[in-house]
Amino acid sequence: MALEGRVRGRQSPETIARFASLYRSACADLALADAYQLPRGTVHYLHQLVGRAHNQLYRSRMFNVSTWARQLLVDVPQRLFHDNALRLAFCIFWGVFILSGMLSYARPEFAQGMVGKEMMAQMEEMYSEPVEGRTSGMGAAMFGFYTFNNPGIGLRCFAMGLLFGVGGLLTTIHNAALLGGVFGHMATTPQSDNFYRFVTAHGPYELTAVVLSAAAGMRLGFSLLETHGLARMASLRRAADEAMPTMCAAIVMFVLAAMIEAFLSPSAAPYAVKAGVSVFSAGTLVFYFVILGYPREKSRATG
Amino acid sequence: MQSDAKQLDTQIEIVTPENIAFQYRVAGPFRRLPAYLIDLAVRAGVAAVAFGVLVFAFGMAGLASLGFGVWLTLAFLLTWFYGGVFETFYNGQTPGKRLMRIRVLSVDGRAVNALQATLRNVLRTVDGQPGLFYLLGLAVATMNDRFQRLGDLACGTMVVVEERQWYGDVVRVDDPRAIRLAAELPAGFQPSRSLARALATYVGRRENFSPSRRAQLARHLGVPLRHILDLPPETDFDRLLCALYHRTFITDQEEPPGSEPISPMVAFDKSAGGNPFASSTTETTEVVNEDLSEPRTEQPFGVR
Repeated sequence: MALEGRVRGRQSPETIARFASLYRSACADLALADAYQLPRGTVHYLHQLVGRAHNQLYRSRMFNVSTWARQLLVDVPQRLFHDNALRLAFCIFWGVFILSGMLSYARPEFAQGMVGKEMMAQMEEMYSEPVEGRTSGMGAAMFGFYTFNNPGIGLRCFAMGLLFGVGGLLTTIHNAALLGGVFGHMATTPQSDNFYRFVTAHGPYELTAVVLSAAAGMRLGFSLLETHGLARMASLRRAADEAMPTMCAAIVMFVLAAMIEAFLSPSAAPYAVKAGVSVFSAGTLVFYFVILGYPREKSRATG
Repeated sequence: MQSDAKQLDTQIEIVTPENIAFQYRVAGPFRRLPAYLIDLAVRAGVAAVAFGVLVFAFGMAGLASLGFGVWLTLAFLLTWFYGGVFETFYNGQTPGKRLMRIRVLSVDGRAVNALQATLRNVLRTVDGQPGLFYLLGLAVATMNDRFQRLGDLACGTMVVVEERQWYGDVVRVDDPRAIRLAAELPAGFQPSRSLARALATYVGRRENFSPSRRAQLARHLGVPLRHILDLPPETDFDRLLCALYHRTFITDQEEPPGSEPISPMVAFDKSAGGNPFASSTTETTEVVNEDLSEPRTEQPFGVR
């Protein structure tokens, strides 16, 4: 079928020229068939044919590496620097996190209500032995698990943001309260040392990625409420264009965190190395958000 | 914006940058659900096979953990990016969508880009809220004209039906009495355009009706036509319409085949005389078998 040929590989010039002329004729036929009120079957057939030819002519655009790199390294940080949704997500996440952590530290019954007895016992058992060298040889499997699990949580949080931002807000509060509860509770147990040694290295990337995905989702949801004079759907579409690259940045962070969590955190490396990685990753985040994101004269990102 | 174009039912009209207007039918839940289920099955199948292969192959090499890790990473990609990647690289179709003959397009009729394809599939989570069995997506889809779920609304996409049925050959009249009657009709009679259309519609569908229903339907045209054509009162209306159809579309068309292939343009010009769509369908079949290398100035539309 000349019209259908897989255009993935290059087609010969003859085929393309032939396609173009066939497409034009089909369009002309359709116009005439319409004008002459030909039977429905004919017109319907021509509509189908032109539609299919149109889809061959205008194919979906592929992933363009340089465009995406530019988005991730230039546009996203520039945009996030001014992003109120990110500020809100950041404040809510850390506010709830710290509050929940302190409450669980001070009142065991709060922690129990928040985290749940079962999970508390599980966590305590998990960190009952020093983590160093705990899962030697299991690194790759754990990496897979973290990659499967964590960005999934982030993506779900992002998607929930679409529900006018409320869904994302609730998911963020829930995540923050749960994490805070775990951190607060673990501090009261004898295993606290093991626990904090474990989470040090991958903490910065992972927690930032959680905040970032919540912020990207809220951007989607809030665009329905605050439209800047656009129709709601148009406003949502514009926000979606911006939110997706942000989400990609979050996924990259999740994957980095998963690598560290799987290979470094449970390894036998001395604590100084893990703390160093933690500081280094926090440094890259500052670089990303502040230095890359600092507003520049010529390419000032829009609100 | 395209969205304020008039839309009566599930047919939507698209005007391309070249100013070509054509129609699509938007796909409703009864096509999209099976497509989704097929994709779900494909995903599960791939994951299961990959699990077997990876864990077994790496297990043999003593690296079961690595195999498991690779599989989990793959499972993550399958869960979240299966649809997005397929719709990007296969022009708006996943395997399930291809089987169900539907395609994702932007609302303005252009192909989706990678961003739209990925986002609409990530946002599937909202439409298919756990515990709600896609009811949210379904509810949203019923509230707009194009069956867009939330993910579609957010990235400005829609799903259209892309049928590929071939338009069959011209319906032929094989009743000899009708053909005989056709020969008796006055030579000067030229059906008007709307009459020709009505004839074609009637003859195309008469097979589906019982003889008495045919008689009833044909009466409406038959009575005035019998009057105009001055036919005897016992003429069968159904046969009369068939005869007229035969005269209009079949007899006129069978010109000596030696004449140069009629391009639709020329055919329609001639049709002002009375034979509006004589050539289009035969052209289709003709070109289907035609040698591709043969140079032609005017290409007809039938392509295979």
